[in-house]
Amino acid sequence: MKFEILDAPDFGCLRVRFDGAGEQLVAEAGAMVSMSSGLKLETKARGGLLAAAKRSVLGGESFFQNSYTSTGAGQEIILASGMEGDLREHALDVGQTLFLTGGNYLAHVGERFTVDTQFGGVKGLFSGTGLFLLRLSGPGTVFFNAYGALHEVDVGPEGYVVDTDHIVGFSDSLRYELRRFNGTKGLFASGEGFVCHFSGPGKLWLQTRSPRSLARFLDPFRPVEQSSSGGS
Amino acid sequence: MQIDLLYKPSHTLARAVLQPGEGVRAESGAMVGMSPSLALSTDGPMAGGGFFKKLKRAVLSGETFFTNTFTATRAPGEVLLAPPLCGDMCVHDVRPGERLVIQGSNYVASPDTIDVDTQFQGFRRFFSGQSLFFLTAAGRGQVLLNGFGAIEALDLGEPYPDGRGRLLDTDELVLDTGHLVALTEGLDYEVTTVKAGLIASYFSGEGFVLRVRGRGRVYVQTRNREAFGRDVGSALPAKQQ
Repeated sequence: MKFEILDAPDFGCLRVRFDGAGEQLVAEAGAMVSMSSGLKLETKARGGLLAAAKRSVLGGESFFQNSYTSTGAGQEIILASGMEGDLREHALDVGQTLFLTGGNYLAHVGERFTVDTQFGGVKGLFSGTGLFLLRLSGPGTVFFNAYGALHEVDVGPEGYVVDTDHIVGFSDSLRYELRRFNGTKGLFASGEGFVCHFSGPGKLWLQTRSPRSLARFLDPFRPVEQSSSGGS
Repeated sequence: MQIDLLYKPSHTLARAVLQPGEGVRAESGAMVGMSPSLALSTDGPMAGGGFFKKLKRAVLSGETFFTNTFTATRAPGEVLLAPPLCGDMCVHDVRPGERLVIQGSNYVASPDTIDVDTQFQGFRRFFSGQSLFFLTAAGRGQVLLNGFGAIEALDLGEPYPDGRGRLLDTDELVLDTGHLVALTEGLDYEVTTVKAGLIASYFSGEGFVLRVRGRGRVYVQTRNREAFGRDVGSALPAKQQ
């Protein structure tokens, strides 16, 4: 398989070309932009499709993946995330692990590559900040995206502090501590304003924009439902 | 203080590098990342005093303007800053004696050698009932500004000394108020309607405009936050009263 990242850093998408039959690529559901009609598509979700659909409808975390298998040489597929921004390829060796936010996962290759959605410790910690983490383990290659540009930080022992809405992913060698950010957003915000203090060595990927900031900007512009109670 | 602008022009990230003793004030939502060695203080209602009095009107009118100040103490450090919407950022070097008038939502950061004053100058929009919120920056140093979309630096009257603007071939610039990022205070500016009469102006869709004359620099953003908010927000599900 050949991989090419197109149109980064603003509208990154991944073009994959298959060399022969039987090659497989796994991608987040909904990521397909275009593909050769010969590619075979299968949809998977942890716990089965029905369980995942339930979680999705009832507001829990869900994670659907499609697997694409080639049936001949020369087939190709283009994948893109929902968010405008950058796209990166990252290889993981056997035993190497990366934490990635669910919304920033695009695709991976590698038969023995694992994408874990249920794990304790770090996942539960970050879910309080609204972050849905995946644990990825090699061998294989993952493709991840950002809202905005991807900014890589080499974290040393002295550490680095980040706003959690901007976290894309981090190596599992990092230590992390969540804190409330002193004085953030004044009196009116709730459930916001978390920072994470990482200490290394390890790598940290940040995105230069956050979907939550966009949502907060748009919220005041939503139409207001007039309450029908109160009689007249 | 050194400011680097990375990943221009659509999702720009600013990196402010501080030497020991230097501090940077930044709009409170702007922090993306920072060195843990930086000292942090908040300039908001909690800090009390005169700043709070100036803020009160901003808060009551629905605008909020809170800042945090990051200071490097024993070691150098950095802060990464970004605005909430996509687009660019730029740096303006404030000259002594010349204040920069900044639309509130376009301010990102400035060193603590710059005096940021919250001014409430009306420019009221009769139809939306919202006032535009302006700040002024004075002193010596850089001001980091954001723009929704791209930022154009336009010079009126003569090329602005930093050589980074485009000189306009006109005496008067008419600018949609939603597209103003900042302008240098030496310029004459007034808010008017683009067509004669309020009714005609309302239906033209162009609302209120700024007429700018004289000599100075005007920063313009190529997208309008209010228009974007209305266009997208109105398509979102309604919320409870």
